[in-house]
Amino acid sequence: MNVGVDSSLKGDSMAEDNRLIFFWGRECPHCAKLHPVVNEVSQELGGSITELEVWHSEENATLMRSYKDVLLEACGGSLGVPSLYNEKTKKALCGKNITKQEIVEWAQE
Amino acid sequence: MTKEEMVKKKLWRCNVCNDIHYGIRGPVICPTCGARNAFALIDYPEAMKVIIDRGDRLDEVDKLLDLWEKFTHDKPFKLNPDEDFVRQLAKGELANEANHGLKYCPCRITTGDFEDDLDLICPCNFFIQPVYKESGECWCGLFVKR
Repeated sequence: MNVGVDSSLKGDSMAEDNRLIFFWGRECPHCAKLHPVVNEVSQELGGSITELEVWHSEENATLMRSYKDVLLEACGGSLGVPSLYNEKTKKALCGKNITKQEIVEWAQE
Repeated sequence: MTKEEMVKKKLWRCNVCNDIHYGIRGPVICPTCGARNAFALIDYPEAMKVIIDRGDRLDEVDKLLDLWEKFTHDKPFKLNPDEDFVRQLAKGELANEANHGLKYCPCRITTGDFEDDLDLICPCNFFIQPVYKESGECWCGLFVKR
């Protein structure tokens, strides 16, 4: 998984509609803190988590908004970052207290 | 406040000191000059002409930190004591203002609906949100219960 901001704006090459997505914001301190944890899980699972920055890419923000039905509930009523969305199971994690264990379980479900 | 109530908001001008108020009704007592029942309905072009563009620009991290400190004065919450973290959030808000027009919380994301997104301007209405009630912090952790 690529950590660089510019390259990660576009995400990776996994097939759409079946991705594990990490939505993050470049200026969000909690996203910066969670980034290495997501990287770690992604590497352990063979680079399977797609990173999408949402404050500097309208395309990514639009995609995130399209999952708002699930994300709103996970994020306490408003869309928030950091958040993770599983396109296959349609399950989400959201907020500053996400743990590595939760990400692993969310990814492997 | 519901979206329907937001739409009902109008602009009001104090006919004594020209204070401008945006709300469903004008204040009974003008917060600036103290005049009673002095607010009259006006329209947007008139309001824009009355407001003199000389207010302080809150466009620097230190100014935001000062504003937030004052905002928490005498309230049941305080600014997060981790100054590096708070400065990061301030930079994020200023970036959002530069890129998206308003100081949106960098730990949220706009919906694209302008009126809905007004709820994401920092300081937001965190003290009535479930996250604050449950965790004692606003969503991003900028404000924490004392």
